[in-house]
Amino acid sequence: MRLIRLLLLRSFRLRPARVLLSMFGITLGVAGMLSISVTNQSALDAVQRLLVNTSGSARLSIIPAVSGGESLPEQMVSAVSRVAGVQQAVPVLKVTTSLASQSAPEQVGLSFFGANAGGMIIHGVDAAAELRAREYRVTSGRFLSSSPEANEIVLVENFAEDNDLKVGQRIGILTPYGVERVLLVGLIAKEGAGLTNNGAFGVAPLRTVQRMFDRAGEVDQIDVLVEESYTSTAQLNLLARNVQQRLGTRASVVSPASQGRRTTEMLNNYQIGLNFLSGVALFVGAYLIYNAFAMTVVERTREFGMLRTVGMTKAQITAQMLLEALVLGLAGSFLGLALGILLSRGLSQLMSGLLNIDLVRMPIPVSAVLTSLVLGIGVTLLGAMLPARQAGNVSPIEALRIRGKSREGWLLVNGWKPGVVLLASSVAILLWNPFAYDPMFRLGSLTVFLLFLGVTLILPAGITPWERMMQPVVKLLYGSSGTLGSRNIERSRLRSTITVGALLVGVAMILVVRGMTESFVSDLRLWMEAYLGGDIYVNSAVPLRSTVGSQLRAIPGVAMAAPVRYLPVQWKTASSDVQETTLMAVDPVSYTQVTGFVFSEGQTNPAEAVQRLAQGDAVFLSSVLSEKYGLKPGDTIYMRTRSGWHPFSIAAVVVDFYNNGQMITGSWADMRRYFRVNDANTFLVRVQPGEDAAEVEKRIDRQLGKRYRLILELNDSLRKRAFSLLDQAFIMFDVLAVISIVVASLGVVNTLTMSVIERRREIGMLRAIGLTRNQVARMVLAEAGIMGLLGGVFGIVLGILLTRLFLFGMAAMSGYKLAFVMAPEGLIFSLVIALVVSQLAALLPALQAARTPILEAIQFE
Amino acid sequence: MKILEAQNLHKTYELGKVTVRALAGVNFSVSAGEFVAIMGPSGSGKSTLLHLLGGLDQPSGGVVILSGQQLSGLSDKQVTLMRRRNIGFVFQFFNLLPTLTAEENILLPVIIDGQDPRKYEGFLVRLLDLIGLTDRRHHRPDQLSGGEQQRVALARALINQPAILLADEPTGNLDSKTSKAMMELLRRSCTELGQTIVMVTHDPRAAAYADRVVFIKDGQINQEIQFSSEDDLPKRYRQIVEIMEHLELSE
Repeated sequence: MRLIRLLLLRSFRLRPARVLLSMFGITLGVAGMLSISVTNQSALDAVQRLLVNTSGSARLSIIPAVSGGESLPEQMVSAVSRVAGVQQAVPVLKVTTSLASQSAPEQVGLSFFGANAGGMIIHGVDAAAELRAREYRVTSGRFLSSSPEANEIVLVENFAEDNDLKVGQRIGILTPYGVERVLLVGLIAKEGAGLTNNGAFGVAPLRTVQRMFDRAGEVDQIDVLVEESYTSTAQLNLLARNVQQRLGTRASVVSPASQGRRTTEMLNNYQIGLNFLSGVALFVGAYLIYNAFAMTVVERTREFGMLRTVGMTKAQITAQMLLEALVLGLAGSFLGLALGILLSRGLSQLMSGLLNIDLVRMPIPVSAVLTSLVLGIGVTLLGAMLPARQAGNVSPIEALRIRGKSREGWLLVNGWKPGVVLLASSVAILLWNPFAYDPMFRLGSLTVFLLFLGVTLILPAGITPWERMMQPVVKLLYGSSGTLGSRNIERSRLRSTITVGALLVGVAMILVVRGMTESFVSDLRLWMEAYLGGDIYVNSAVPLRSTVGSQLRAIPGVAMAAPVRYLPVQWKTASSDVQETTLMAVDPVSYTQVTGFVFSEGQTNPAEAVQRLAQGDAVFLSSVLSEKYGLKPGDTIYMRTRSGWHPFSIAAVVVDFYNNGQMITGSWADMRRYFRVNDANTFLVRVQPGEDAAEVEKRIDRQLGKRYRLILELNDSLRKRAFSLLDQAFIMFDVLAVISIVVASLGVVNTLTMSVIERRREIGMLRAIGLTRNQVARMVLAEAGIMGLLGGVFGIVLGILLTRLFLFGMAAMSGYKLAFVMAPEGLIFSLVIALVVSQLAALLPALQAARTPILEAIQFE
Repeated sequence: MKILEAQNLHKTYELGKVTVRALAGVNFSVSAGEFVAIMGPSGSGKSTLLHLLGGLDQPSGGVVILSGQQLSGLSDKQVTLMRRRNIGFVFQFFNLLPTLTAEENILLPVIIDGQDPRKYEGFLVRLLDLIGLTDRRHHRPDQLSGGEQQRVALARALINQPAILLADEPTGNLDSKTSKAMMELLRRSCTELGQTIVMVTHDPRAAAYADRVVFIKDGQINQEIQFSSEDDLPKRYRQIVEIMEHLELSE
């Protein structure tokens, strides 16, 4: 204990800056890990909670087998309740509408899932059954009465407040047949079922809603409360089969939990990316720890030699260093936890904006805290291991010896051989590309590891030839004293390798982030231009009949209005299971006049493909589905239509990011014929050449806006908002890349400071024989510059390989197949970043070296 | 002709609250081609004098004039350039750069000055021959013995033919045999190359190679001996030891 107090704590007190620096990397890594895991967990929880709350205690739900306008007959409710094991069948009729008093929003709502028109959702329910199925907390007034035909409604408190509605008021609800007035009898809290549609939600008696929306005898969903004795999954599955048998093919029995899969998948993809990057930040943190400890060993060689002289064993010294590491790791990790909790608050806000869900502040899960702590401390100990052993190996005589070139182990001398093999094999794996659809990306992760290890092993061997090669450049940039500096990187190749390695990882991270963003964004932008094509985006909370199209076209200045309808559908291939996805129906003729499709590379003639689609019984498949199921143009898929499974031939593969990329595009005529749907969600309007889009937008609003509750937005502004949403999603990646480079620059500071301390007497001698302060500083800057260049060039190579790997990984994990895009400016930018960072980091050590007092230094031993 | 002159040199240090007078009015000059040894007991101020003469430190009072140029009052950069072009240094610890070969270490002042080292090839060959390391010119310091390293340091100090060579205990880290070889080399550089040398040492055997020995005590010049060319080394040695004993006994 006394030893710890004497040696450890005093060493900390003597070098507070070093202690902070060492902790910094760990703190950042741990904070990143924790905040990402907490935020994602709370996002997943929010999605799950939303599902649980809105589906309530129902264990099964019955929905129409064919979606899109199709509903279930109300008689089915009693049929379901008669099945053995069913406690109660709870009917729901869902309508999307809007308050008559509520003005249409000025902007189209945007989230990761696409555009939406806002508006409110009303559920027509059987009050008594509903209360058994879902939780409602009445905060004012009362819940619905038991009378099934009462002309009343209950709204979510916040929504009512936002719209200035009071209990007892008669409120106007917009229906396709005009405004209907109902009595607001109560308000419910925005929790439980009140979370539906983010609170823009109300419930009214089933009959009332059926009457208002002319849907007598229809329901959209039947939730099934199961008898308590049905506890196992097997029992539940059996029950589901029984219900399905009773109902025939018209209805599907599903589990409510399956409906949040889309969000969960998307969050998982996002989390894999972020986790990988924070792992890298921690990895760079380990570099920093190594560096800081190696520096301590250099500084304290005499101290260790002396301690060995007075009888401290090797093991004692090593243990002493590891103990220091442990204390630092603990402190750094705890700081990281605190920072992580703060970060997760900010990240949650970002995420709730992206997902359009309220994230409730979650208690930090103990498992996440423990994982972060263990990782933080583990990485610190790992980073300190080698220097700790070096410290133990300091011989008493060594403390007195003049240090020249340090001894080099096998890895430094011969490590390049296995390094080349590793690099070659990881490149071979990349070229061979065996990444079939694998959500875990196992082989890919292994390749990432091989790449890192390979490059790290090759680096030491590359240092000397690189230094020789760059000498003319160094001389040109830094003058004759520069060559003296650049030679120094050979002196401790291990230390130089570590520093170059940290820079390399930072540069590679920037490239990966840029490469991924560029590749993703270039495809995404292309698609978004098409998705949000035309000049004006016309949307509404209520379905728009196809006659709206001709009305729009009749408005002066409108060249064309193309309807778009999204329809949930079930589909399968000849061999696969039934899948759920979204069908986007468009009228190929008007659609191609307003905007276009983004065809995947290597397609047949696009004009032919569009013609094929217009002819009917054909679809365009999204590239993600094509990749995921190995489908190509000419293949056949089946969609469940009103008349059963119907074959559609794939006319083309198109790039589509809507609905996580899982999309089928069909023709309007097919949708009418097979799904009997003829209304649109959206119209894309192209204005006539020379017309001012804003002016035409005003005209549309004046003539049709009020009647159809239209939400109009110029596509320019919509696209701008969509791109800014995109930028927000990528900002986290940028932040992590910046962290990596900052941590790497701290590594440069460490290495150079160490180098300056070690060479104090040399610098004194050089000053004595005529090196000016300026030249000394340039010498140190040159040393940093050459490391920056090396890190930059190797980082570019690694960055390109990694980006390709991640693109493969993305195709393997999610089905997004993106073209590799990396602008040459990006490469130059990375090199410049590496150089600038190395020079900035070298400023302080260079200044320190320039200020070396000659007399003290030449007498320094 | 006087190459180096010190007039009324004073140097005081503040050590905490105590003021230490290292030099107290030293007047001293060196003529071109002369080999002067400075001797004195520990703490007498001999190293301080050397540092002031070399522009490594600034005097508290008095002036140093090198080749007609006054050192005090010059900026750091000017003094540095003065050192680079007019002064050669040999230290007790050889202070070679471990990353450079023997040849590159010798050419270091030329490289630092931004000159083309090829222009010095002829003189380099001569120096390598003088120090007897022609066949080891491409070796790095860690492949050379202590004596060899010190000879490289000497060649480095001579490469740009400085006005004066300042040596601070050049044999302090060498055994007696290599010390002797080193001193012979210094003597030859003076005789054969006409190099002016000022050397600080406390080794009477080393000082015996000089033309003149200056004894310092308590920061002031106490005595001087001028040897004639006929005096052999043992005689010189005895004279020096005698004076040293006298100085030390009188403390």
